Amino acid sequence: MAEQTPVQIFRRQERQRQYRSGTFFLKLAVLLLFMLVPFLFPSFKALDLALKIMIFAVLVASFDILLGYTGILSFGHVMFFGIGAYSVAMLIGKYGNPSYLNLVFGFIIALGITSALALVVSFLSLRVKAIFFAMVTLAIAEFAIILATMLSGFTGGEDGIIMSMPGIFKVSFNMGQVLGVEITGRLITYYFILVVCLGLFLLMVRFIHSPLGRVIQAIRDNEPRAEAIGYKTFVVKSISICFGCLVSTILGGLYVMWVGYANPESVLGIPIMLDVLLMEIVGGMGTLYGGLAGAAFLEFAHAFLPDLQNFAQSLFPNASFLHAALERWLLIFGILFILVVFFFPKGIIGSVQDFIARRKTAPSI
Amino acid sequence: MAQTILKQWGSKLAIAGAIVLYLLPLLGMEFSTYMTLTIAGLAMGMMLFLVASGLSIIFGLMDVINFAHGVCFAYGAYVAFSVFKYLGAWVIADSVFLNFGVFFVAIVAAFIVVAAVGIVMERVLVRRVYGSHLFQILITFGGMVVLTELIRIIWGPNDEVMPKPVSFAGNWNIFDIIILKYPIYAIVLGLIVYAIIQLILKKTKVGKIVRAGVEDPDMVQAMGHNIFLLFTGVFAVGAGLAAIGGLTMAIFNLQVYPDMGGAYLIFAFIIVIIGGLGSVTGSLVGALIVGLSYNYVAYLLPPLAVGVNILIMVIILLIKPTGLFAAGK
Repeated sequence: MAEQTPVQIFRRQERQRQYRSGTFFLKLAVLLLFMLVPFLFPSFKALDLALKIMIFAVLVASFDILLGYTGILSFGHVMFFGIGAYSVAMLIGKYGNPSYLNLVFGFIIALGITSALALVVSFLSLRVKAIFFAMVTLAIAEFAIILATMLSGFTGGEDGIIMSMPGIFKVSFNMGQVLGVEITGRLITYYFILVVCLGLFLLMVRFIHSPLGRVIQAIRDNEPRAEAIGYKTFVVKSISICFGCLVSTILGGLYVMWVGYANPESVLGIPIMLDVLLMEIVGGMGTLYGGLAGAAFLEFAHAFLPDLQNFAQSLFPNASFLHAALERWLLIFGILFILVVFFFPKGIIGSVQDFIARRKTAPSI
Repeated sequence: MAQTILKQWGSKLAIAGAIVLYLLPLLGMEFSTYMTLTIAGLAMGMMLFLVASGLSIIFGLMDVINFAHGVCFAYGAYVAFSVFKYLGAWVIADSVFLNFGVFFVAIVAAFIVVAAVGIVMERVLVRRVYGSHLFQILITFGGMVVLTELIRIIWGPNDEVMPKPVSFAGNWNIFDIIILKYPIYAIVLGLIVYAIIQLILKKTKVGKIVRAGVEDPDMVQAMGHNIFLLFTGVFAVGAGLAAIGGLTMAIFNLQVYPDMGGAYLIFAFIIVIIGGLGSVTGSLVGALIVGLSYNYVAYLLPPLAVGVNILIMVIILLIKPTGLFAAGK
């Protein structure tokens, strides 16, 4: 074992440190919290909030693979989320019946469409300039929204598709009580989604730390150099894009399993894209875990902003412009987004990492 | 031999092919319908050209992709809406002079207001992030969201009916082909604006500096010109052009709505990708391509109208990824 590459040495040291660091236990604690939510806060609102945080945390992490690790901005990420959602909803709700087989087929078809589309998009726009990727994906995402709205015979138009889940995922399914909490279909769906999300997240962590993931980061930092070393940057980037989009698709399917409907506004729209972007920036680019912080922040804001608005309105009953501004929560999020990009570009996790790194190095100076 | 022929005649062949392609819809419709659609398509192309040219010059000179450009379009439409409301008597007056008067006032007002918005945007948002494409896109995307919401606060969240000056309605009947008046006015306006842009770019000193800036901004600065002042000016003019496009489009469609900017921003992106980022003539050609094919397909197969433009963009990206025209022309 004498001959080891620097990467191997680094990784061995990292593995030794892994179980001693505080962050490892923090991660475990967060996971435990998600697992215990149904028992600690037995209300639907809490469960719904926890699940949305979970799904969006992983969605933002998959977006992070594109933006934070590959350095490519895609406005089509939510579109892939929508493809997953629509595919599952269609096969279970409109064109099929609620059965496990259709559920699986829904995911498989969505994954097929996504990988084809992601490959085509990356092939078209990566050859030219990275900046084209943002423009092309925005155009295609807008086209997807138009299609979903206009082809109302096929997709249900503005109303979308409503569906109910098969077997043990059904809302009315009941299995009796455990520890004073009823094991319903909702709860089983929650745990199912939790397990899949955890699996996807670990997969992404693995992806980032794999040799391929390191090449991706090298390309982000200095593309001509990575190319000069001999990596086929185009292929590597395409793989990274496809991977991120596939994860997003699976999450779309999971999301629709929980909410039970898919329509353009809830799974395709620009507001969701803004949400994802904001979560990404608030959490921190290039950290993966930033998604969790950002999603938690924004979903809590979504949940409690109405209360805050009422409070502000009772505080200033005469400022009508303020009322109008507060009712438009997109305005608040938009301003917040700009401010965060300007003054806080590393996000929560990035800033904390910086702080820890500075404290570690401080005594030695 | 074959290669040299292709080199010599390639562009002419492409033009001939395009003309044949644009005559194809004749198979599926009457000639008079075809003419109506063609004129509507040309008019739409001219309006889109106004939006796309600003986007294109801004990118060419400043290397900035402005995602908030579509919002300037919407602001132009809304300012014109306010002007028409304020000067309502002129709009419904049965006098060509007053009708064109209010149209002119609306254009000037929209241009000035939106150019001011553009100056603020450039100074507050874009100036801090020169050089980083990623942050430019993020910042201007945020700006787009905020400005769209401001429209909802200022003018209300609902769709509004845009009034049309009386003498702009109606049509001419030439050999049994009904030609609407307003699209012709829009085409003429677009051509005038194109001529003015070309004149300024080719014949004035400012235009020369702008063209030099597209080629090499650092060198222009080294020659002693204040490039940042130029950036602000070009950004404001680009926003103003988008505003004129927005108001003509609003009169054309007889409606204004807060999200209109986002929808037409997509067209503008497709156009600058087809025409080549940084080229005004490219924007004109790209806009005409997009406008015509949109109208034909919208008549034949409505849901695919945007799809065909994306298809054209894809083909151009495959054949000539830099766009049809080089930058700076």
